[in-house]
Amino acid sequence: MNKFTRRNVLKSSAGVALGAAVASPAMIYAARAWAQDAPWKPEKGAELRLLRWKRFVQSEGEAFAAAVDAFTKATGVPVRVDSEGFEDLRPKSAVAASIGSGPDIVWTIHADPHLYPDKLIEMTDVAEYLGDKYDGWYPIAEFYSKRGDQWISIPFVFSGNFINYRIAAVQKAGFETVPDNTDDFLKLMQNLQKNGDPGGFALGNASGDGNCWTHWILWSHGGKMVDDDDQVVLNSPEVVAALEYVSELGKTFVPGVASWLDGHNNKAFLQSAVSLTNNGISIYAAAQREGMTEIADDMDHAYYPVGPGGRAMEFHVQFPMMVYKHTKYPNAAKALITWLMEKDQYDAIMQGSVGYLSHPLKAYNDHPVWDEDPKRKVFKDTVHRTIPYSYSGSLGYAASSAFADFIVVNMVAEAAGGVKTPKEAAADAQKRAERYYRI
Amino acid sequence: MTDTAQVRQPERPVVHDEGGMDYLERLPRKVVTVYIPLAIIVFVLLFPFYWMGISTFKTNAELHAYKGIQALWVYEPTLENLRYLLWDTEYPRWVWNTMLVTVTSTFLSIFCAVCAAYSIERLRFTGARYVGMAIFLAYLVPPSILFIPLAIMVFKLGLFDSNLALILTYPTILIPFCTWLLMGYFRSIPYELEECALVDGATRLQILTKIILPLAVPGLISAGIFAFTLSWNEFIYALTFISSAENKTVPVGAITELITFDVYNWGALMAGALLGSLPVAIFYSFFVEHYVSSMTGAVKE
Amino acid sequence: MAVLQEALPVQDVSFWIRLKNNRNALGFLFMLPAAVMLLVFLTYPLGLGIWLGLTDWKIGRDGVFIGLDNYLWLFDDAVFLLSVFNTFLYTVVASLVKFAVGLWLAMLLNNNLPFKAFLRAIVLLPFIVPTVLSALAFWWIYDSQDSVISWILIEMGLRETTIDFLGDPNNARASVIAANIWRGVPFVAITLLAGLQTISPSLYEAATIDGASEWQRFRFITFPLLTPIIAVVMTFSVLFTFTDFQLIWVMTRGGPINATHLMATLSYQRAIIGGALGEGAAIATAMIPFLLGAILFSYFGLQRRKWQQGGTDD
Repeated sequence: MNKFTRRNVLKSSAGVALGAAVASPAMIYAARAWAQDAPWKPEKGAELRLLRWKRFVQSEGEAFAAAVDAFTKATGVPVRVDSEGFEDLRPKSAVAASIGSGPDIVWTIHADPHLYPDKLIEMTDVAEYLGDKYDGWYPIAEFYSKRGDQWISIPFVFSGNFINYRIAAVQKAGFETVPDNTDDFLKLMQNLQKNGDPGGFALGNASGDGNCWTHWILWSHGGKMVDDDDQVVLNSPEVVAALEYVSELGKTFVPGVASWLDGHNNKAFLQSAVSLTNNGISIYAAAQREGMTEIADDMDHAYYPVGPGGRAMEFHVQFPMMVYKHTKYPNAAKALITWLMEKDQYDAIMQGSVGYLSHPLKAYNDHPVWDEDPKRKVFKDTVHRTIPYSYSGSLGYAASSAFADFIVVNMVAEAAGGVKTPKEAAADAQKRAERYYRI
Repeated sequence: MTDTAQVRQPERPVVHDEGGMDYLERLPRKVVTVYIPLAIIVFVLLFPFYWMGISTFKTNAELHAYKGIQALWVYEPTLENLRYLLWDTEYPRWVWNTMLVTVTSTFLSIFCAVCAAYSIERLRFTGARYVGMAIFLAYLVPPSILFIPLAIMVFKLGLFDSNLALILTYPTILIPFCTWLLMGYFRSIPYELEECALVDGATRLQILTKIILPLAVPGLISAGIFAFTLSWNEFIYALTFISSAENKTVPVGAITELITFDVYNWGALMAGALLGSLPVAIFYSFFVEHYVSSMTGAVKE
Repeated sequence: MAVLQEALPVQDVSFWIRLKNNRNALGFLFMLPAAVMLLVFLTYPLGLGIWLGLTDWKIGRDGVFIGLDNYLWLFDDAVFLLSVFNTFLYTVVASLVKFAVGLWLAMLLNNNLPFKAFLRAIVLLPFIVPTVLSALAFWWIYDSQDSVISWILIEMGLRETTIDFLGDPNNARASVIAANIWRGVPFVAITLLAGLQTISPSLYEAATIDGASEWQRFRFITFPLLTPIIAVVMTFSVLFTFTDFQLIWVMTRGGPINATHLMATLSYQRAIIGGALGEGAAIATAMIPFLLGAILFSYFGLQRRKWQQGGTDD
């Protein structure tokens, strides 16, 4: 039975000016009350433009838009929400920073605020207000957002990226669930391949899925791109060990992964062409939405296995919010961001994202969205398990450019595909990375 | 008084289109050496369009059921993809943007090209040949080289994210070829016509508008078609200079908006590809003869 | 007679009238629109681009002049060198095949065929349809799970598994080259067809009477007379292919581990996505010498000889 409904009240996928999403009267009432006591009063005649990444889950986009709409109705500040594709958002926000005009607020990706910190306004007061009210920020959220002692962005949400697998296939391969160590994981993948239910991980220039699993492989074996002093250490025995693991793992993949961008593994999983991959919760959400019950019932999510390093070293995606200095209405912007992270709205957004997004504030740990469906359980721990992509060096221009150039992804792809030996791949990646960290 | 109407018409290059010497060939041989290869090539050239077309009408299930189903035909045709494209995305807006940008930059380029071609071909001022060469050399600098500095210029001029940025930058791609095309065309118009008009006291501008242009209408149409096609087709400038969804052109919009990160909406993508190709194909089908014959005129340079 | 003896009054010709009739001035004026457009939006950005390549400009941070640093590092960068190799491979292979198939197609279309005009119209379709959109279609055709080509081959029993078009480096290169050829053949074919139609059949008839075989007719009549047109169309073709961006970007984004990165796509990735505008500009500028070489080669190497048109050599 097709449970699929399209609610076209909100054309949130296109940057249509707000007015289409309707906040409930209760929310508006609450917003008005909030606006009276809010620490930031919007300036007179304020208008805001907010640029965000295109929503993956429709209900999340709608919840977000409803919350923004409530703000508008309560404060009289019109807010225009534009969406941009994942890959286009980052250059566009960099351009806005560079030319000093464009959107006021950007709900951006990764640690981009560190690319142009001088073009952003300080958000320390907002962060402290929210931290005090909601039991504090998780350390990683704070790390991502601070430059010295000042907060340059607000870590609005994180998005978890975990192993997605087909239960029957994994059991047939001799495991109850995805094993928690890398050695057994390799065995699992080999058995899956033998049984004709191969797994597959994206090895193309996939900025989401590709980066997540390749960094996990690297870190779980003790390797990393830079050390604490920002010296490139890719050419190290740990990295080579990781790549040797990958070259074995790569043999178990379904063919074609080297061309996979972020959407291909979703498609393959939903077609039952792969039985194990890494992804956010969007595969599960899509299966439920499209009524593909045999997949939705037969799939689950698992943590990444832990490697010889001994602790969980995973990379999940942060989506911070930042405000440009060129905005004419900084108070309005701060008010909006604060409003969005207050309980009712944030709860609604969490609920709407059905597990796709997770929280950086400790108080939201008990949100019902995690308990409603046991399959969402692992995503709750996103913020506990993620470490920044600049590990273990500093966040800044070098880390961000190296990340954008897919150095780690390419290195792993070379080893997995047998194009280069692990030692060669590591050495070449070292050279590439050194260019960026020389600056 | 000379009667300009009696002067011979512009010389068109002699075109031999009767099929050469194939009256000497026998049919079976012709089938093997001509018809079969032709059929194969045409099939290969058209197959992607067929595939685009039927994918537009397939449901999601059919698109991905790659085992056990006849892929070359549609079993449960659906208009859902088209509906999604036209109603749930900004697609109509993109078509409008692309039309606006294309038509405006085409007119702008034709205007510049006509003046330039006339100047080089007819006025023959000193250094005309070199200027002609310089224009041709403009092709050495294609968009994939210029887009970065142009992006910076566009930001500084405040044109970022507006159609005006495209309208002003597309002519750099269009003017060189249109000028070259029109040069060939103007060259074929006999100079006597102008001389007569000059003797009769016409100014250069009058000559251009009243004599040359009417005679060069086929050339103008060809240049216009070419400019229209190139402009509709352009991608990298539109990708770099335009940001908001409602300002995008069709090629950029199809790529960036129909792919929502994790989920590739293949049906909608193919629908977008199909609908995006149709205007150009239709527009062009009216003028293809001009296009082909203008190539003849141009290559006789 | 009386008319001739009348002295024509000498008019004081005003500056404006002199200007209007001065060919050079007029020529200059007429050139102005095109010249302004091209100077502002082409020549100036070109200079700016070259200068950018000598700085370390980033998006979000203005840069300083660093001389040839970008270039020095690029020559040491394996990915850049790979992109240069890829670009050459792509251009040479695609152009050669486009030329061969295009010439063949032109000769086929030159015959007496039913529906000639219609055929020529549909043959041009791949060229006029926006590249990005046909690239999407190819991307779908080349999908590693859902490709229709794989499906056909599997149904016919010729293969067991799907073809990994875009995942294997060599397959990926072949696939994008094939897509480029598909797109470019019509342009070459129609232009060469136009050229073929300028060759008088009397030449062929004379040769046949003299006993020339078909191959000899081609080699001694068709080909030499087509040379100038071949030079022009192949120059354009090489230029477009060398600087291709859209096809690669849509289908592979630079390919399995940079195997299909061309200089244009690498430049975009480094400059816009990576934020290193200076480096991206340097990569783009590095394309210019090769393009210049291609144009000069075709201009001098394949230059039209006047005797082919009946005149004397230049």
